[in-house]
Amino acid sequence: MAVLAVVGLGAWELYWRAQGFTADIDDDKNLWSWQRSALDKASKDDIALLGSSRVLFDIQLDAFEKQTGKKPIMLACAGSSPLPVLKDIVEQTDFKGTLIIGVTPTLFFSTTFPQASPWKRPQTRIDYFYDRTYAQRLNYMVSFELQQQFAMLSANEEQWSNDIDFKALLRNIQMEPRTEGPKKPPFYNFSEIDRDRNTKMLPRVYQDTAFANSIIKVWGFFGKNAPPPDKNSTMDFFLDYAKQYTDRGGKIILVRCPSEGGFRMGEKMVTPRAEFWDELVQKTGFPAYHFEDYLQLQYPCPEWSHLNAEDAYAFTTELTKLIQLDGYLTNSKTE
Amino acid sequence: MLFNTLIFFVFLAIVLLFYYTKFLNWTGKKRMLLLASYVFYGLWNPPLILLLWISTFVDWTVGNKLSKETNSMVRKQWLLLSMFVNLGFLAFFKYGNFLIENFVSFVNMFDVQYHPFEMDIILPMGISFYTFQTMSYTIDIYRKKTTPAKSFLDFALYVTFFPQLVAGPIVRAKDLITQFYEPKKATVQQFLWGSFLLTLGLFQKVVLADGMLAETADTVFNSTNLLHFTDAWVGTLAFSGQIFFDFAGYSTCAIGIALMLGIILPDNFKYPYGAIGFSDLWRRWHISLSSWLKDYLYIPLGGNRHGITRMYVALMLTMLLGGLWHGAAWTFVFWGFLHGMYLIVERLLKNVITIKINAWNGILLAFITFTFVNFTWVFFRAQSFDTAWNMLTSMLFMQPEGMKVVESFDVYKVLGLIGVLFLTHWFMRDTSVKEVSQKIHPVVFGIIWAILFFFITIAQSSGEQFIYFQF
Repeated sequence: MAVLAVVGLGAWELYWRAQGFTADIDDDKNLWSWQRSALDKASKDDIALLGSSRVLFDIQLDAFEKQTGKKPIMLACAGSSPLPVLKDIVEQTDFKGTLIIGVTPTLFFSTTFPQASPWKRPQTRIDYFYDRTYAQRLNYMVSFELQQQFAMLSANEEQWSNDIDFKALLRNIQMEPRTEGPKKPPFYNFSEIDRDRNTKMLPRVYQDTAFANSIIKVWGFFGKNAPPPDKNSTMDFFLDYAKQYTDRGGKIILVRCPSEGGFRMGEKMVTPRAEFWDELVQKTGFPAYHFEDYLQLQYPCPEWSHLNAEDAYAFTTELTKLIQLDGYLTNSKTE
Repeated sequence: MLFNTLIFFVFLAIVLLFYYTKFLNWTGKKRMLLLASYVFYGLWNPPLILLLWISTFVDWTVGNKLSKETNSMVRKQWLLLSMFVNLGFLAFFKYGNFLIENFVSFVNMFDVQYHPFEMDIILPMGISFYTFQTMSYTIDIYRKKTTPAKSFLDFALYVTFFPQLVAGPIVRAKDLITQFYEPKKATVQQFLWGSFLLTLGLFQKVVLADGMLAETADTVFNSTNLLHFTDAWVGTLAFSGQIFFDFAGYSTCAIGIALMLGIILPDNFKYPYGAIGFSDLWRRWHISLSSWLKDYLYIPLGGNRHGITRMYVALMLTMLLGGLWHGAAWTFVFWGFLHGMYLIVERLLKNVITIKINAWNGILLAFITFTFVNFTWVFFRAQSFDTAWNMLTSMLFMQPEGMKVVESFDVYKVLGLIGVLFLTHWFMRDTSVKEVSQKIHPVVFGIIWAILFFFITIAQSSGEQFIYFQF
């Protein structure tokens, strides 16, 4: 039995490797919780990154560390608003370091409704961080090691169309549609993440136009089906919690990462800069960096919303240089 | 700790290593098992081990006092102490919020505005199981049906034995404590069979319950719309299969793990969906709970010794409390009520109709039983009566206008799997996995085992909790 099982699983592993899959880590609530727990031990000199997938992709932690001497704590979550994480930091920690908050306008200003996806996604991780048992923590340590060894272990919370766990394989069997409503186009994983949640775009996105287009289709789907932004409540919420944070000595820096093509057009229509970003910056008075304002922050986005790993490294270097020049970040190595 | 996690296998490997090394004598091994059981439980929420300790200490003391005391009044008081502590824990931790909510609703009916202090009560995992198990110990000693454990260690291990601590089977003292008196060691056959049962249980939980049925059941029961009748039925059938595979899977794992240690636990499920009638169902579903309710509730309430009316009242009360045991909500009570009604109607019908069961009418009757059981699962799974009524409306009145929330493949997947489940239960109703395994060639058996293991691995369980842990 054992021999058969090993042979079967070995063949399964080889098959997926032959299909181009490699052993990688899943970006899930456990990995996020590791980063979140680092915040509880962090000092005033530490930096945490909040935001959506643009922060994940565009801010490269090694470039940031090289420039500032500090590796930031990555708390950004794909497809999410940073507001629940800010609320958690303000209410549940005494962290007084620097928060760099990525503003993807369609997500930042989307909602304060707890059941809405941009809120629920990070909130689920926050809840898990507090509720996880010691058994779950230990289990993740074992699971993490195995994820790094086997390509076939690739279940993902995101439920990518190319996941290869049993449930995903069943989910991806297509028959005649039965349910009503719009159908999300196939959404394939296009990034890899490491232990520190440093995320890099997979080369296939900028090497294979059809693959990039498949992601662009998904942005189109989200754009068509997203509810209108809820500017007032999100703005008020942010101003309230940001004030509480700065009142206790913390610093906040706002960053608007690049977007282009149809995605940017949509953002301009739904969340025009003057009414959203500019007003946010004016009301908060926080240091703010919009890619449109700096030539050195402008890079192409192969799928309209994120930078490839090489450009992300350069973007991070330039961004940190700008922040340092303005005196909002120092280099702890040279102090 | 959950059986369907990697860390459990690390834990089990360490336990087995210590259990089968020679430097520990039997007492040392039992101490190790007890410590391991506390670790198993404590890795979930360490402070709640205190409850286990209190239950253990109180029932150990009460058991000893009951065995020595001759004054019936004093004996009754000792028993009441045990029941007060155990049922008190249950009442506070499991039913505290439910009782307060209902009290508030009740006083509000008289325009009394009462705002209770909000309590954030954690439900200790498995509390319903281990309190029932320890209560059976003191009640059996009170009834002089068993004697106290020979040592505190034996009793503490009986309360805490990790394979069945959090979701049963609920084992009687005479069946488990006595196994701890003499050194136990699994034979090679027992160890292998135990490993197979662990694999089979995990397959039921990880692949069938979580991998194939849970998502469909969740999609349907989380919908707030009036559903198309196909979707309502598919969701209900999916839950019907999910809860069986989830709970039977846990029990099978528990029995297998204990067997790997040379300890024998009783069966908890015997192909319940192949049952003909509801009395038969309850002899096959969660057997250790049904027999507990029969011995410690139904019979003390009078059973069938005081006439038909009293018997029906006892039966209904037993089922209502059985429903409430599953969860602090009126939907669970209604689930119990439906089962109580089924049992009463079945007994009434048996008085006027006699059917000689054969293969053809048997499978039809089993199918009718299974269909009626599915209606009860609607109340068991639904979060509210509104959802349940919506589901029943869709199921019974064939809502063609209802919303479709289940995709075509999921419809076929659920109907196919539940069809296989029903037929398997029907054909296996008078046999067992062990008997079947002995009839097939060892190579074929090995291939089946390898296939189960393969699917468990590729299912990549993220450690979804077993449904019965919340009860």
